[in-house]
Amino acid sequence: MAAITETSGNVCGATLSRRQFVKTGGALVVGVTLIGSELLEAAPARGAAFKNSLDPTLPSSWIEIHPDNTVLIRTGKSDFGQGTTFTAYRQIVADELSVPFEAITTVVAGDTDRTPDGSGAFDFLGRGTPNIRKAAAYTYQALLDLASERLGVPKDQLSVNGGVVSGGSKSISYGDLVKDQQLKLTIPVSGDLTSIFGLRVEGNPPMKAVSDYTVIGKSLPNSIITSKVTAKETWATDIRLPGMLHGRMVHPKTLGSTLISAGQLDKSKFPNSQVVVKGNLVGVVAPTEWEAIQASQQVASGTKWTDWKGLPGSAKLYDYLRKESDWTSAPVSKSNATAGDVASALAAAPKKLSASYQFSYMKHAHIGPTIAVADVKSDGTVHIHTHNQNPQALRGEIAVMLGTSPDHVIVHTHPGAGHYGRSNGGNAGAEDEAVILSQAVGKPVRVQWMRAEDLQWSTQSSAAFSDVELALDDQGKIAGYQIDHYMPAMQDDRPIGAVIAGLPTMPAPEVESKSVTSTVNGLSDPWLYKQVPNVVERGHGTFQVGQKASPIAVGLRDHSMRTPGQFQQNYPRELAISEAAALAGSDAIQFRLDHAKEERLIAVLKEVRDASGWHTRPSPRHDAVSTGSAPVRGRGVSAMFRSGTYWACVCEIAVTPSTGAIVVEKYTIAVDPGIVVNPMQLKRQVEGGAVMGISQALLEEAMFDESGITSRDWNTYPILKMADIPEIKVVLLHNPKVGSYGGGSEAANALAAPAIAAALHDATGKVLRRLPLKRAYVQALLQA
Amino acid sequence: MATITVNGVRHEVSAPGDTPLLYVLRNDLQLSGPQFGCGLAQCGACSVLIDGKEVRSCVTPVSTVHNQEITTLEGLPARWAKLKGLSTEEAQKTLHPVQQAWIEEQTPLCGFCQSGMMIVATELLERNPNPTVTQIKEAFTTSGPSAHLCRCGSYAAIIDAVKHAAAIMAKER
Repeated sequence: MAAITETSGNVCGATLSRRQFVKTGGALVVGVTLIGSELLEAAPARGAAFKNSLDPTLPSSWIEIHPDNTVLIRTGKSDFGQGTTFTAYRQIVADELSVPFEAITTVVAGDTDRTPDGSGAFDFLGRGTPNIRKAAAYTYQALLDLASERLGVPKDQLSVNGGVVSGGSKSISYGDLVKDQQLKLTIPVSGDLTSIFGLRVEGNPPMKAVSDYTVIGKSLPNSIITSKVTAKETWATDIRLPGMLHGRMVHPKTLGSTLISAGQLDKSKFPNSQVVVKGNLVGVVAPTEWEAIQASQQVASGTKWTDWKGLPGSAKLYDYLRKESDWTSAPVSKSNATAGDVASALAAAPKKLSASYQFSYMKHAHIGPTIAVADVKSDGTVHIHTHNQNPQALRGEIAVMLGTSPDHVIVHTHPGAGHYGRSNGGNAGAEDEAVILSQAVGKPVRVQWMRAEDLQWSTQSSAAFSDVELALDDQGKIAGYQIDHYMPAMQDDRPIGAVIAGLPTMPAPEVESKSVTSTVNGLSDPWLYKQVPNVVERGHGTFQVGQKASPIAVGLRDHSMRTPGQFQQNYPRELAISEAAALAGSDAIQFRLDHAKEERLIAVLKEVRDASGWHTRPSPRHDAVSTGSAPVRGRGVSAMFRSGTYWACVCEIAVTPSTGAIVVEKYTIAVDPGIVVNPMQLKRQVEGGAVMGISQALLEEAMFDESGITSRDWNTYPILKMADIPEIKVVLLHNPKVGSYGGGSEAANALAAPAIAAALHDATGKVLRRLPLKRAYVQALLQA
Repeated sequence: MATITVNGVRHEVSAPGDTPLLYVLRNDLQLSGPQFGCGLAQCGACSVLIDGKEVRSCVTPVSTVHNQEITTLEGLPARWAKLKGLSTEEAQKTLHPVQQAWIEEQTPLCGFCQSGMMIVATELLERNPNPTVTQIKEAFTTSGPSAHLCRCGSYAAIIDAVKHAAAIMAKER
C-alpha cells in the first residue's frame, strides 16, 4: 500500500489525519495522545522510555470501523461478570455512532497490548461518560466531516441511520466512507496508564441526545455468556504454554515469619520437581500439576520458619482498633455535608442516640483461587496470562519488581472467577510469584493458589468501627448528627510474592501516598438526610493491623471490595437512622422521607415501600420478643447514593431467638440509576449483589489469631447457600430525565446489612451493632 | 496408566492412578468445563456426571472411574441428543436444554461455578423433570457432598434457569 495524500483537520478539539491508499483495506482508527504519565516521567531512571503499544507513536485504537460495516471496540476494562463491556458498552457505542448493536462484532478488553486506556474493572459506566462513549462521540463527528466532504453536503444537513449517512438525495455507508483510507483520529487523553484509574478521554465532543437513544434501554444478551455456557471459552485456568511447568507455593507459616531453611525435596518420589527459593519465598515446580501439589506439600513439611505473634486475634480486634491503633498519624477527613453546630444540638436534645458499630474483616473469596501463567523470556520480555481487574497496573508492578520498564511486560487477561475488587489495583496474588518462578527456571510457569492460600494470603475488605451521636428534637426530628468512622488503610496494592521475596514494590500504605493506598480515611457515603440542620461526619485512618509489627511488613493486608469504604460507612449510618426512627416512635421509611430533600431519594423510598408491601408503623413491632424457640419476624430498610444511582432496600426476616438463626425471607430493592442501559443485565447484577450482601451480613467474618488468618476453606469462611436465599424483588426505576446512567449492582451488597440489622431490632427489640449477624452473636445478644 | 470414557470417547491416560480426575480432565484431555474451586469437595465447581450421578472430580482418583461413563459440560449436548435419538447432524446443532435455558435466562455472572451448576441441573432434571423451587434448592444445597457455591450470587437466576430448562424439556418430550 502507498499513501498518495495526507491531510489533517480539527474535529471538536481532536485532530483528524487521513491517508488515502491506492489499494483496498483501510479502517477508521481512533487513537490516543498521552498527556502526562507518572510512569513516563519516572521511566528514564529505570531505562528505556515506556510506550504503550497502542498509543501515540504506534497506531492505537479504541474503535475500528471496517469496510464491511462491522465495528470493533477496545477497552482496558476487563470483564469480571458484570457483562458491561459486552452489553452496555456496545449499546452506548451503537447509539453514539448510530449503528446497530449487532454491527459491533468484536470487543477487545483488558489485554495490555491490545487496549488503550487501562484502569480497573469498576465504575464501568464512568458516571455517564465512560471513555468508550467519548471515543465514539469523537468518531461520529469525524465520520460526519468525512461524509460531508464526500457527499458535498453541509454537516448540519446530514443524518445517520444504521451506519448510513444521508444528505440531500445522496447517502453513503460508514464502510464505504472508510474504504481505501486509513483515518487516524487523535483525541486528547490524560492520566497515568498504569495507575488504578488509568487514562481518561478528555474534551467535550457533542453526544447523542437521550431522546435519540434506540439501543440503550434494551435487554440485549451478554455474548460471553453463550461461550461460557457452551464450554467454548478459554479461561485463564486453561492457558498452557509450550514447556510450561506447574508451580505451587510454600507460603510462610505466619504473616510475619521469615525463612530459616527450605525443606529438602525427596527426589526419589518427585524426580522431576524443583524447589525455588527467593528471599523468604519458597515455590516448587513440576511438569504435572499433581506432582507439583504433592511435592510442595512434602517440601512444606520440612520447611522451617520463625514464629510470629503480632496480631490482636479476632476476639480482641475492636479493643485493639480503639485503644492501640494510632489514629493521630493521618489527618482527619470531614465530609462536605458538615453544617451547623452539632454540639449545641446534642446538649439541648430531649432524646439522644449514642452508639458504636463494628464492621468485620471480609474476604473477597473468589470461587476459583487466583492463578497466573508467566513466561520470562531470555531477552527480558515478560508475558503474564491471568485474570486481572487492572492489567496495566499489574504490568507496572511487575516492572517495578524486576527493575525493568513496563514496555517489557505484557499482561494478557482471560475470563476467570469474579474478584470483587481484589485485583483492581493490579494483583490478586500468584502473578508475581509465577514471574519469579519462571525467571528462576527459565520456562513458563503456571502458579495456582490452593483454597487455603486464597483465603489466608490474600487481602481482605477492611474492618472498621464508627461512633454515632444523634440528637432528636421535641418533634422527633433529627436535630444533630455526628459520626466518626475509624478504618485502617483499605487498599494495599503491593504484590505479596514480591514482598515475601524481598523484591522492590510500591510502598506499604502510608499517610502520604499516591493514588488510593493512603492511610487517610476519606468520606465516601454521601449524606442523604439533608433536612438535618446540624451534621458532622469525620473519617479517621491508620495503618493496617500488623503492618508495622510484621518483620516482613505484611500483617492483615486490606483491599477494596464491592462498595469499598462506603459499605463501612453506610452500614452504621443507616442502622443508626433506623434506631433514631425507633427512638422517635416513627416509621423507619417515613422518618427517612421526613428528612430527605432529593426527589430521586424520595422516589426510591416510596417505591420500595410500595413494592415490599410495607405497613407504616414504628419499630420495634408491638409484640417484639427476644426469647423462645418460635421464629419472630421483623423488617428493616436502608438507603444509599452511589455512582449516580439511588438505592433503597427492605429486608424481611425471621429470627429464632433460642438459636440466633436469621433467615431473610424477602428482599425488595428499588434502584434509580437514571437511564437503565440494559434492564435484564442490571436485574441479574442486582440480584447477585443482593445475595452476596445477605451472605456478608449474616455469615462473613475473616477469623484470625495472633499469627494469621485462620479461615481456610468454605467451612471456616462460609458463604450463603442457595437454600438460604430470600424471594428477591428488583424494581428498576428508568428515569431518563436524569440524562445519564449511574452504576449498578455493587451497592446492592451494602444495603442488606443495615436493613437486616434493623429488622432484627424490629422483631426482637434488641439491636446488634456488629457484623456479621451470625448465630452466635445474635444468640448472645438476645440472651444478654 | 488408566482408561477412562469421557463424553463417549475412550482415553488412555498416563497420569498416576491417585491423580484427581479433575487434573486429568483439564490437563490431559484439555477440557475446560470442570474448574478447580477448592480441591476439597466443598464448592462443586469441578462437578461431572459419572454414570448419571454428580461427582466432585477434585477428590475422585482417576483409578476409581474405570468402565464408568463420565460426562462434562462439553458432553451435555451429546447426552441430550442421545436421549432424544437425534441424528448426528441434528445433534451438532443442538444444545442441552439446560445450556439453552442458562443462556436465555442470562444466568452466569462470572460463570466460574456454572459448569458445576449445569451438571447438577442435568442430574436433577433427569430424575425429576418438573422440580419445585424447594426441590431445586435442595438439589443445589443438600443433595451432594456439599452445597454448590456461587460467590457472585446467581442462585435466583439458576432457579429461573432450571425451571426454564424443565419447560423446554417438557415441550420437546
